[in-house]
Amino acid sequence: MNMELSRRGFLAGAGAGVAGTTLGAFGFGDVEAAHAASIRPFKLANTAEARNTCTYCSVACGIILYSKGDLKKGEKAEIIHIEGDADHPTNRGTLCPKGSALLDVVHSKTRTLYPQIRKAGSDKFERVSWEQALDRIARLMKDDRDRNLVLKNADGVTVNRWTTTGFLAASATTNETAWATYKVVRSTGMVVFDNQARV
Amino acid sequence: MSNVGSSGGSSGAFGVLGEISAPAFAVRPDPETLFLRRSDRFRALAEGHPLKPYLIFLADLSSAQHWVQQELPPAAPVDSAVLARARTHGMPPIDRTGFEPDAACTATLDRLLVLFADCDMPDPARAALRHLADADADSRTVMMRAVLADQIPVEAIAGHVLVAAALQVDFARRAALIDPAALHPIGDGVCPACGSRPGVSLITGRQGAHGTRYCVCSLCSTQWHHVRIKCVMCGSTKGISLQEIEGGPGTVKVETCAECRRYVKILHQHKDPALDPVADDVASLGLDLLVRETGLARGSTDPFMLGY
Repeated sequence: MNMELSRRGFLAGAGAGVAGTTLGAFGFGDVEAAHAASIRPFKLANTAEARNTCTYCSVACGIILYSKGDLKKGEKAEIIHIEGDADHPTNRGTLCPKGSALLDVVHSKTRTLYPQIRKAGSDKFERVSWEQALDRIARLMKDDRDRNLVLKNADGVTVNRWTTTGFLAASATTNETAWATYKVVRSTGMVVFDNQARV
Repeated sequence: MSNVGSSGGSSGAFGVLGEISAPAFAVRPDPETLFLRRSDRFRALAEGHPLKPYLIFLADLSSAQHWVQQELPPAAPVDSAVLARARTHGMPPIDRTGFEPDAACTATLDRLLVLFADCDMPDPARAALRHLADADADSRTVMMRAVLADQIPVEAIAGHVLVAAALQVDFARRAALIDPAALHPIGDGVCPACGSRPGVSLITGRQGAHGTRYCVCSLCSTQWHHVRIKCVMCGSTKGISLQEIEGGPGTVKVETCAECRRYVKILHQHKDPALDPVADDVASLGLDLLVRETGLARGSTDPFMLGY
């Protein structure tokens, strides 16, 4: 009889402590049954591990996030630990001092969760929608570029440099995203630019 | 700047603080210490444990698995042509399906039965031992084949588990002769040396591989690297979560897979180096009992835990 099949059949109709387990077969069925009864009041605790990429720089180190609590059971999940991903080819489990402090970034009270604006003359930030934020950024970029784009250098050679605005892009992107980011940003003439494609 | 991210092979040139993991794919077993340490671990775990009599029984059996190795004929090394063929076809070099017991294997079982007979055990275990001791070579070979085919008959578990214990010794001795560099991944949940299923997986604290995960073969005890947060059985990376008994030390957990609905234990050996792939699997039976209630099936194999 196939063990895979036979054990399913036995488990369907019987609890622990009967023939069908190694413990039962060797004569430890009573110990097994007592253990099964004593373990019943205990509960399972859910933890999870998830891969991610360090948010700091363009090296893009692999990290593992450890969390407690089961979202599927309606519990609140909380990140309790972050460490370098030993399987990741870039950092092989190591992290720099900034990366090692990521847990404090996650739980920081001052962490930026949404776009905010501090208007000229104001002493506080106001929350705005992504729509408003992106429109405003695009407007300011356009105005700045129109004013400051360097078309030619001192020798009269066309250079099309835009040096008065900088662009810092994400670390956790795919090759394709990095490529697209590079093309879009460079095509505006922007030279103050850093993203993963640099590495 | 381009070599900043490729720290893998350049640690010597730059001098690196801390430890960089470059895990070997496979680690061969050391049968000369494996079963002795297991026996000690079983005995240590038995103190105050609800399954104490069974853990002591398995401590004695592990002890017998260790001492049986004295005076055994040398294990037969895998032929280099067989190794090459296995590599070409992506198959394990030790073939468990076409198994023929050789002199070393036969002697292992013979001696194990003699050594283990001196230990205390309940009547059903004693009866199975006597029955096996009286069995002729042919019926023993049939039993070995049943164990290796994962087809242990439910009415004769005890005898077959004793046969499995002898096979663990024999296969570990043979796997120990294979150069780990000659082993290559065969598939998820399959031992690259003998093709068996894993017993548990563990996060190792071994120097040079710190924090990486290895599966441990349930038969030959070869360890092979398997990326973390990825189902050991089906390779899925979706729906992986970890369960442990509430209030536990966090060193023995199960990794559950929502895709294939199976689970495999994960031992955090980097936190507690004493953890043993078999002893701590049996001693954490309570975890299996609780996880079973959630409708998940045990994906791994352990002859001492049949029925779970």
